[in-house]
Amino acid sequence: MSAATVVLAQQVVTFSPKVILDNLDLLWDGVQLTVLVSVISFGIATFLGVFVALARMSERRAVATFAAGYINILRSIPLLVFIVFIYYGVAIYFGLTFATGIQAGIFAFSLQYSAWLGEIFRSGIQAVPKGQREAAMAVGMGPVRTFVTVILPQAVRVAIPPTGNMMVGMVKDSALLYVIGVQELFRNAQLLANRTFRYFEIYLAIVVIYLVLTTTVYYGMKFLEQRLRPVDVLASVERRFAPLERRRRERLRTLRDRIAAEAPPTRIVAPEATP
Amino acid sequence: MGPGEQAETVIDLRGIQKWFDDNHVLRGVDLTVTRGEHVCVFGPSGSGKSTLLRTINLLEEPQRGSVRILGVEYGPGVDGEVGRGRAPAKQLRQHVGMVFQQFNLFPHMTVLDNVAIALRRVRGVDRAEAEERAARQLRRVGLLQKVSAYPSQLSGGQQQRVAIARALVLDPDVMLFDEPTSALDPELVGEVLGAMRDLAETGMTMVVVTHEMGFAREIGDQNVFMDEGVIVEQGGREIYTDSREARTRDFIRAVL
Repeated sequence: MSAATVVLAQQVVTFSPKVILDNLDLLWDGVQLTVLVSVISFGIATFLGVFVALARMSERRAVATFAAGYINILRSIPLLVFIVFIYYGVAIYFGLTFATGIQAGIFAFSLQYSAWLGEIFRSGIQAVPKGQREAAMAVGMGPVRTFVTVILPQAVRVAIPPTGNMMVGMVKDSALLYVIGVQELFRNAQLLANRTFRYFEIYLAIVVIYLVLTTTVYYGMKFLEQRLRPVDVLASVERRFAPLERRRRERLRTLRDRIAAEAPPTRIVAPEATP
Repeated sequence: MGPGEQAETVIDLRGIQKWFDDNHVLRGVDLTVTRGEHVCVFGPSGSGKSTLLRTINLLEEPQRGSVRILGVEYGPGVDGEVGRGRAPAKQLRQHVGMVFQQFNLFPHMTVLDNVAIALRRVRGVDRAEAEERAARQLRRVGLLQKVSAYPSQLSGGQQQRVAIARALVLDPDVMLFDEPTSALDPELVGEVLGAMRDLAETGMTMVVVTHEMGFAREIGDQNVFMDEGVIVEQGGREIYTDSREARTRDFIRAVL
């Protein structure tokens, strides 16, 4: 009894990073799986989310209602419950066999995140002023061309910051898959900790790893956001992307000088035009 | 065009009726615009003048009435000939340019791209040629130096001139202006009216919804006073000094 106390006390006070270094491969496997699941799920969710957003804004009442229901239901279920429900409940009831928890996890994440992302995309699209669509139509663009050329590029700018938040959320939420036995980062850390009793070191290590992962995502989105920022910060963006901008500027300058050197514009005066 | 020769009809609206839900905003409007003519439409807010202008390029679809542009029917038709032989709105917009009150430039594109984009994406002109033609139009409105600027770097007056160039580059048969100076600071109104005056002098067919009565009096060949969804009075320049209708007189007195 007293010996055990001593052992425990020692473990609290001593700090041994060696356990991390010895098991880097296991943690690295976890990181890879975490990233893999996050990236695939987020990709599918983004793809689905665009359709959710479009369906939600559909002029057909039935389609819009269906999309609204889809969003409401999926957003209302706790993610952990949803994962368990998919993996154990749905799979068994319908006789589906998910080869691994990974597939079930990706399935659950993709569905639930598509609902959240759909709402983000919808708000982005709706943030584009109505006049933009009208101006595009007025110069002869059809609905698809208008969406792709005029609406989407502006909607993306609005949607990037909240989408970035969702992506960070996805990386963190992927830890929930430990519950269905997916050997992502957290699960591997748990296994390791249970084997070595080095809880503090190991959990500290994965805290740091999650921090690195989410910070990477955060700065990636920041980069995109700046890259796509309209004009206010054009000067700073230009400095950062100097080669591209310089080429483009040069081309425009050449064009400008060439046109300026042309003979003044000929007026097509129709003498009888004004009575 | 010699004397006695009939000018070509560019716009022919007949029996235009438009409801927004229960609100009957256009109650049977007829308007004919011939080539080279400058039409000014004025009237109190809510009179339907902007809606009328927007039906000309079908940004608003009238529920009833005939919208003929260069002889082609785009509207639902007057009673009895409903929906027959309607051409698509996209075709109509090849002939009709529009300038908006709020400019509506594309903020994520340079000035040059704003003007060139429709040539490239709608007309299928290759990039080099489209940019060249866009630059020429920008020169016409005095903004060639701004090709690489973004709309938010321009004043309202400059933005509106870019919008004019964006419409002109498509070589329209008629230009629509929806209160083009109403969103501008007073000191910027002049440059936009100047560009429009120049355009009028080239013989461009124009329909202008405006509160600038001085400008209307200057360029308006046909002047239309609207109120409550109908044309109350229309005529030449005498409408501003010698109108027949009391409502027209009251309105002109109030805005001058």
